[in-house]
Amino acid sequence: MPSAMNSIPIVRTLAFRPRPSSRFRHVTGVKRPAAGICRTFADKSTLPEAKEGVTGPNMEQAEHVSEEAAKVAKITGSEGPDIEGTGTPVQEILAGDAEAKEQAPQVMKDAISAGKGAQNAKPSTGRSFSTMARRRADMTPTMDDSAALPPSMFPTAEQRALYAQEQQPRAPQPVQEEKKGHKFPLPALPLPSNGNKDHRYDPVVEQVTNLMMLHGKKSVAQRNMAVILSTLRTAPPPTYSALRPLLPGAPPASHLPLHPVLYLTLAIDSLAPLLRIRSQRGAAGGGVALQIPVPLGLRQRRRTAFTWMLDAASKKKSRGSGNDQFALRVADEVIAVVEGRSGGWEKRAAVHRLGTTARINLKFGNRAGRR
Amino acid sequence: MPSILQALWVWVDVDVLEMMGKPKLGALRWLGFPETSACSHTPSILSHCERKRAVVPPETSWPLNTVQRAAFSISPSHSANPPKKTAKKTTQAKSSKTLRLPKNMRAQTARPPAPGERKAMRKKIVLSNANALEVPGLENLTTESVRDMDRLRELEGQVAGFDGDTVDALRALEAFKPGQGWGLFKRPAALVRRDLVHLGAAMQSARESKSISRGVFFGERGSGKSVLLLQGMATAYLQGFVVLHFPDARPITDAQTAYQPIQTPEGETIYTQPRYIAHVLGNIAAANRGLLDDLRLSKQHQLPIPLQSNISLARLLELGANDPQLAYPIWQAFLSEITAPSQPEKQGQRRPPIFVGMDGVDHIMRMSAYLDTESKSIHAHDLAIARDFLSLLSCKTHLPNGGVIMAATSTSTRPLVPTFDHFLARKHADTYAHKLTTIVDDLLHQAKPSESIRDIGLTDLEELPAASYPQPLAKQVQDLQYRVRCYQDQNASPSSLRKYLSSFTAKLPEWNPYDVKDERVAKVMESGMAVTKVEGLSKDEARSVMEYYARSGMMRGAVTEGLVSERWTLAGCGIVGELEKGLVRARF
Repeated sequence: MPSAMNSIPIVRTLAFRPRPSSRFRHVTGVKRPAAGICRTFADKSTLPEAKEGVTGPNMEQAEHVSEEAAKVAKITGSEGPDIEGTGTPVQEILAGDAEAKEQAPQVMKDAISAGKGAQNAKPSTGRSFSTMARRRADMTPTMDDSAALPPSMFPTAEQRALYAQEQQPRAPQPVQEEKKGHKFPLPALPLPSNGNKDHRYDPVVEQVTNLMMLHGKKSVAQRNMAVILSTLRTAPPPTYSALRPLLPGAPPASHLPLHPVLYLTLAIDSLAPLLRIRSQRGAAGGGVALQIPVPLGLRQRRRTAFTWMLDAASKKKSRGSGNDQFALRVADEVIAVVEGRSGGWEKRAAVHRLGTTARINLKFGNRAGRR
Repeated sequence: MPSILQALWVWVDVDVLEMMGKPKLGALRWLGFPETSACSHTPSILSHCERKRAVVPPETSWPLNTVQRAAFSISPSHSANPPKKTAKKTTQAKSSKTLRLPKNMRAQTARPPAPGERKAMRKKIVLSNANALEVPGLENLTTESVRDMDRLRELEGQVAGFDGDTVDALRALEAFKPGQGWGLFKRPAALVRRDLVHLGAAMQSARESKSISRGVFFGERGSGKSVLLLQGMATAYLQGFVVLHFPDARPITDAQTAYQPIQTPEGETIYTQPRYIAHVLGNIAAANRGLLDDLRLSKQHQLPIPLQSNISLARLLELGANDPQLAYPIWQAFLSEITAPSQPEKQGQRRPPIFVGMDGVDHIMRMSAYLDTESKSIHAHDLAIARDFLSLLSCKTHLPNGGVIMAATSTSTRPLVPTFDHFLARKHADTYAHKLTTIVDDLLHQAKPSESIRDIGLTDLEELPAASYPQPLAKQVQDLQYRVRCYQDQNASPSSLRKYLSSFTAKLPEWNPYDVKDERVAKVMESGMAVTKVEGLSKDEARSVMEYYARSGMMRGAVTEGLVSERWTLAGCGIVGELEKGLVRARF
């Protein structure tokens, strides 16, 4: 909300840094919410409180070797290692300290004595290779060196018990240990057929919606689809016709209104012709085209059937008024198909008859022939 | 066929004229011929000629004093076969100006719709689907369940239907709206929500202790405000209230209905809408007939027509419904009758509590589309209906017998109403601020200098769901929670905490002083009504609704936790309208 205008006019912008607000003294462990965003994790009440006088691990640690050596050198007055520059190679430190050399791990001693090999190779530039990366295995203290570490570094039994509770869940066991053929849990079979994003909707509904779409207006087509399904749901159950049998396995007519997608699928798949007639120009002799039947695939069949239904619906007369008239006519046509009243049945019968008579024209064997 | 000259001499038989219902005199004039001096003599000649005459060709040599008798007449054939009216040809586009292509030829429907047919089709309400399954165990909202608060609370979270009488009354009041999904189920039913339980409690107290409860309901689109209003009306009907309902406030202000100015006794000019009021009176009469038939007039009213002294209120409303000019005076008389104190001992003078509802109240919180005599916009509060409703809502009209006034806003047809929106937001935030202030006062009470700061119980404060609060209160609450916790952690002094808490005031939405505030709307909104936001459903409620859909057969598939969660989320965190759209009215 805009605040009220300032009464004092601003003459010139002054550059100054406002003093940080000292409303809060710094409190260890409590974080301020940044810009009004309050983080709700790591609340103080859930963190464990340390007892007085107990030092945890990682506290009171010894400094790095080079820095300690530099400090010692500074106190004693001798020339210490160069801290600002590169890290001091361990050999140099051990070279100066005989006692440390004696107590160094065997691997290090061998390396120093050998003096050759990749481990002791000196870089052409002044900077030595990183000691830590190369000598990590060597630097890891073994059980024998446990006495060299300060006692405060070791967690007490209490601390161990406390932190054991908060340890992260165990990493997944290596495959070899569990003796299973897979690392991750297996999926629940059978996989759902609509698992792929491109095939998540019912295929008939999707195809019909696209066939109703004009000028790329998918939302209008979807709206019409919703009206069609609603109409099929609320219309009286159809009566099957003995003359126009539907797809085998069709449910009783009373089931259809409660399953409008099945209603639509049944209408389309029952009306769908199995073939189309291809005319080959001049092949019949005397300039007459030769009729050749061609089988149709599933989508092609459905498309043909629904195109007939759309044609019939667009030629019908609207019974009312409003925005949904086209969708209502299509729904009426679907019901007419199931009841055997539609003109599409005649078209289907005609195509099948023609296909039956034209089957003589089918020639097999010319695979490379013109289609 | 006689020639044109001969046709001038055609005489139509007088009997034929009588059959056609035309006067005998001036027969030729009726036929379209100018009456000449010769024709002025026709009456005497016509009275003379009772029989048919034929046209005589002028070539024949007749004596001059002979009467011209027509040799041919079409009258016998006409009397034998009276000419039938032929149907008029439907007019098509003038072919000379339009190219006749299939795309230009409009498909002719079977018959053009009659006047009002299209509107009736658009506003048609279907309340039943014969194909839907009967839901076993669907309880109804009954008089018993509505009057017993424990039973109503038990019904909370379940879908409850309405019985036949209630449905008839709701239909008469136009409580069902065409865009709602009643037509997909066997019979109307709706979820009983917490807001309805509160309304039921308000109605119970109105009935028992004659209290008045006023509320405005707002919320997102599809959140269920209109259905809540419908359920409120059903509950009031079952409680025995007189139920009044203005189905849609938009037609009051969009200048689509006739209006006329009248002068109030105080000298103001207000505008009545006779047809709208007549329609509403008809609805009220139809819905409350059982109750109003037993109630009689208790006062004398100055009406343009004389009234019987023992007329029933139902009959009074019918008089208003039938005549728009009487509608407003009768409306005023009716309002004064039902807001008169109840006298149960006298016959017909018992007055039950009333329920008044309006849908789309935001349309009357601004300037209307009407113009006055000086072509200036009329404020909606100057329209008589809006004025009367708002005086009920703002308690200017006292209800001695108690009642519930309920107004629902409309989000799908929302006009620009900044003042109203500001007050809704402010009052809504105030309900949360009130709770917050109680907690802060409690903390202040606990923070005594003698006690340790660590003993103060912060659970109430910490448990406040700050994120669900309206802004800017949400941020303020989060800040308060953090800072008080800081004070405790740092072991600060109680006095510093007290100082901080005493300076705390809940931030409510402020009006921008540079915007023009509608003072009349502000005055109405400041009169102390309750403002409730209709939120989304909880997951349990969503589950009940989904189970109802599945049991009705309108939704296929099992109702699992995963589906409930998924659909609740897709419905914008449980908005009922979106839930229904996604489940029942889907396109797949």
